[in-house]
Amino acid sequence: MWPIFDYGRFVSIISSSDVYGVVWMRSLAQLHKMANLRVLVGVKRVIDYAVKIRVKPDNSGVVTDGVKHSMNPFCEIAMEEAVRLKEKKLAKEIIAVSCGPAQAQETIRTALAMGADRGIHVEVTGKSIDGDNNQTGQMTAALLDWPQATFASEVTKENDHLKVVREIDGGLETVKVTLPAVITADLRLNEPRYATLPNIMKAKKKKIAKHKAADFGVDLTPTLEVVGVEDPPVRQAGQKVESTEELVAKLKDSGVV
Amino acid sequence: MNYAFTYKMYFKANLLYQRLNLLFRRCHSERRDNPSFDPIKFIQGNTEISTNHMTPEIKLHLITPRCALWDSGADQCPVSDPFWAFYWPGGQVLTRYILDNGSVVKDKSVLDVGSGCGASAIAAAMRGARRVLANDIDPVAAAAMKMNAKLNSVNLETSTDNLIGQGLHQWDVVFLGDMFYDEEFASTVSDWLKTLKQSNSSCEILIGDPGRFSFEEHPAKSLLCKVAEYELDEVCRRENNGLTLGGVWAYDPTRTMK
Repeated sequence: MWPIFDYGRFVSIISSSDVYGVVWMRSLAQLHKMANLRVLVGVKRVIDYAVKIRVKPDNSGVVTDGVKHSMNPFCEIAMEEAVRLKEKKLAKEIIAVSCGPAQAQETIRTALAMGADRGIHVEVTGKSIDGDNNQTGQMTAALLDWPQATFASEVTKENDHLKVVREIDGGLETVKVTLPAVITADLRLNEPRYATLPNIMKAKKKKIAKHKAADFGVDLTPTLEVVGVEDPPVRQAGQKVESTEELVAKLKDSGVV
Repeated sequence: MNYAFTYKMYFKANLLYQRLNLLFRRCHSERRDNPSFDPIKFIQGNTEISTNHMTPEIKLHLITPRCALWDSGADQCPVSDPFWAFYWPGGQVLTRYILDNGSVVKDKSVLDVGSGCGASAIAAAMRGARRVLANDIDPVAAAAMKMNAKLNSVNLETSTDNLIGQGLHQWDVVFLGDMFYDEEFASTVSDWLKTLKQSNSSCEILIGDPGRFSFEEHPAKSLLCKVAEYELDEVCRRENNGLTLGGVWAYDPTRTMK
């Protein structure tokens, strides 16, 4: 059984306006049948990226009630990549999984309409926002003892492994990972499709298996406590200077140089 | 990170989310339940006559990307689940097989179960079947089938009874185009097939399926043998995310369930 994360608890102390969610995609290969990948795609219901995040007055978290929620954009990208693998006949089955409240099923239905074959919903109550932590894929790989390729902007299958181009600060890095592996998606991996009516209709018939965390013997007691959530500091206005000398003088005055 | 790129992606993503947020809300079937609902007018107003599929010899009233309903979520669609308005890939490969191998239906009595747009039934009529019954429990589908038959100058009988589970002694050939789209239904259909086969051993059963997961993994598949395979065309692939290859299968009495 694979582990479940209550990632609702991993909230960063300062919420930022950059919604940089994490997406994770896992592939399992049946032994010796590398052409028949089974792909597990994690999809998460989060606050819609376009919504202005508001911190609760008591600084205990962000406002989620009545706020529009959608599938994390990076989960969309992961889902799209999985469907493309299926269209290239490299993947045999795509399973969409979501840990979250009952409404997470809507998110799974969206994934089914995009091309997943079936869904798994693990009911987890409690806060469910995207903490922008960039941990899930990496931790999953560590717990499973599988190789990982994160921030993927290109995934190609070569014989019995995957060649993944990663977006890193200095540019692009290409790695090879054996299967099974964990891959996390970056923005440039692809442009997700939206589901049209025929796909939506067919998605209604696909199966979503429902579970509780207790079914897997997972303890959801938090090991992390959110002490406070604050808005980022208001940006200070800058100062314009007329010349380099003035700039240097101002820097010296403020003790920076 | 290039923020201009990020912004552009988020803008496109926003359109995507707006569409996705329309999904899966309860569908209004009011117009359909309304006694003055005219299926013919609805079909004429919301579909176009299309030959842009794997069997261009047959004209069909379908919802295409040029129709308003193509982009709608289940919420805005005034009829629930218009399966008849799309030419399912399993149906397309089955119809293609019938058109290319007319001898399987010539002078025979044919039943097309879950006929939808009626394409397979129309193909059987075109290839000289003695009698063709197109069956679909959706009365709007029945109207669509009649309109499509007229478009192609063939005669079709239609029925909206649920014929699955019934014994059918009078049929020489039974078509099942893309009926395995959900697991429960797949089981119902395969149980029916087994009893049908036991009661009428000369009945030919032909199944068209685009490799749907619930078909591929079904134990009853071991009773079938593949008689044809077709690559799905581009339009088909767009309507059916993830599917690329369709097969036509026949019930093989010599095989046993694994």
